[in-house]
Amino acid sequence: MLNAIDKELLKTVADLEDIPKGAYNIRKDGKLLSRATSANIDIETYGDGKGIIVKIKPHTINESVHIPVILSQAGLFDVVYNRFEVGEGSDVTIIAGCGIHCGGPDPEGHAGVHEFIVGKNARVKYVEKHFATGPGRGKRTLNPATKVFLAEGAQVEMELTQIGGVDEAHRKNELILGPGSMALVTERVMTEGEQIAESRNTIILEGAKSRANMISRSVIKGDSVQNFYAVMEAQAPAFGHIECDAIIMDNGRNETIPSLKALHPEAELSHEASIGKIAGDQLTKLMSLGLTYDEAVARIIQGFLR
Amino acid sequence: MLELKDLCFSVPVEVDGGIEEKVIIDHLNFTFEEGRFYAITGPNGSGKTTLARLVMGINQPTAGKVFFQGEDITSLSITERAKKGIAYSFQHPARFKGLTFRDLLAIAAGTDDEEMILALLRRVGICSLSFLDLPVDAKLSGGEIKKIELATTIARNPRLAIYDEPDTGIDLWTINPMVRLLKREQVERGTTTVVVSHNRAFLEVADLVLILVKGRVVYQGKLENALTMLTDMSICSYRHCDKCSGEEDAECYR
Repeated sequence: MLNAIDKELLKTVADLEDIPKGAYNIRKDGKLLSRATSANIDIETYGDGKGIIVKIKPHTINESVHIPVILSQAGLFDVVYNRFEVGEGSDVTIIAGCGIHCGGPDPEGHAGVHEFIVGKNARVKYVEKHFATGPGRGKRTLNPATKVFLAEGAQVEMELTQIGGVDEAHRKNELILGPGSMALVTERVMTEGEQIAESRNTIILEGAKSRANMISRSVIKGDSVQNFYAVMEAQAPAFGHIECDAIIMDNGRNETIPSLKALHPEAELSHEASIGKIAGDQLTKLMSLGLTYDEAVARIIQGFLR
Repeated sequence: MLELKDLCFSVPVEVDGGIEEKVIIDHLNFTFEEGRFYAITGPNGSGKTTLARLVMGINQPTAGKVFFQGEDITSLSITERAKKGIAYSFQHPARFKGLTFRDLLAIAAGTDDEEMILALLRRVGICSLSFLDLPVDAKLSGGEIKKIELATTIARNPRLAIYDEPDTGIDLWTINPMVRLLKREQVERGTTTVVVSHNRAFLEVADLVLILVKGRVVYQGKLENALTMLTDMSICSYRHCDKCSGEEDAECYR
């Protein structure tokens, strides 16, 4: 059922050696390839096969859902709309990701909207990796969007990674935080060649005592371009922080605009942003430990994107 | 084991609209012997850190040569010098986003074997186990990062270890264990040790104290015989400056 290319893509985007245990939904070339549900996690098809609804029962603890998408059909642009309803008091891991294998000159792409409705005091870890490979010269596009709604006391940790090979990516993240809820969003993107990646983020701290931390790490190689925009808006006594760092190599270009909006006098918002080459003192230190210049660069980038 | 021959280092500075060469290291000659413990001290701006950086290859001398174990290493890179057995502890260590203490130790030791890493921690003694998976980033205190810096230097098992102001930011009760550690590395492993410091604790255990003033060695010998000189310097480190007539009229804001 899974061929060698599928297996390689699955391993890269979802750390899967084979069909996963527990609940999963694997989508290949715009169609359902296989699916399994568990006693606590149900997966239903949504709107003519254009997406799924994942329903997680309240108080489901230590379970995971894998929902990878793989594309290896030239000329296909797959669009999905997935919705996750996480019951209150649950603690689950959701692993998504898209792997593209491009074998020919025709473009391939994937756009996905992932909507999360996270119930009271539930905890979700969401891991999403994007990766494209293959000998073909067709343009590979990935346009992911996430919308997250956190109920009172809910927590979400999002790890969003674009590993390599994606020619164009326009990402959009929107989070709305209820009272006492918490969000940690970490985005890691590496671009090279002529690639373009844009990330637009809006985080609304709606409830009192909500907390959000948005971390962005960009490595921009070759002639690639990465732009990062983040708006953190506090409508209540809440705490928010944006940290965005971009390492520029070769002729990479970057625009970073963190924006803070305090609509409540007791809001505490902060940001730190930096764009630049790898710091000279970091390279000197690693070279004094015996690494060559190139090895030191590789090690610093590897750590930065980890 | 380390020979500095007629070593010079100068930097261009702007003076009254023109460019002049400011001499930092001035025709310095000195031979460091195998397995000994040296302390280099002197007033601020006397060239101590520059001298240490010239040995590690972080800066290139304007003139002169550096010989290590008989070989001319003047044109070798930092990496090549590290591989020959020279290690360097920075006064202001680099901070990394994403690299942990464990990562740095593994790079320094050339192994990520858990037993070897733990053995290194025991050998160094001043870094707690809880440090191991901490990112070496801006969140670490000045003292913590200096302990980590020292551990990564020792993890190299160097023939020559250079420590630039190892006690910066270190709490008082860690200084003596730190001094004992460097002394133990010298005695048990024969590590030639060069410490740049103003701290008496390091000067006391040194086999030889060097005092640097204006890029020249003005004293070499035991600490006891250098005390008068050091006391004078501590009164006014600007005593050699042209504008100043010392204690009588310091012309500065002390």
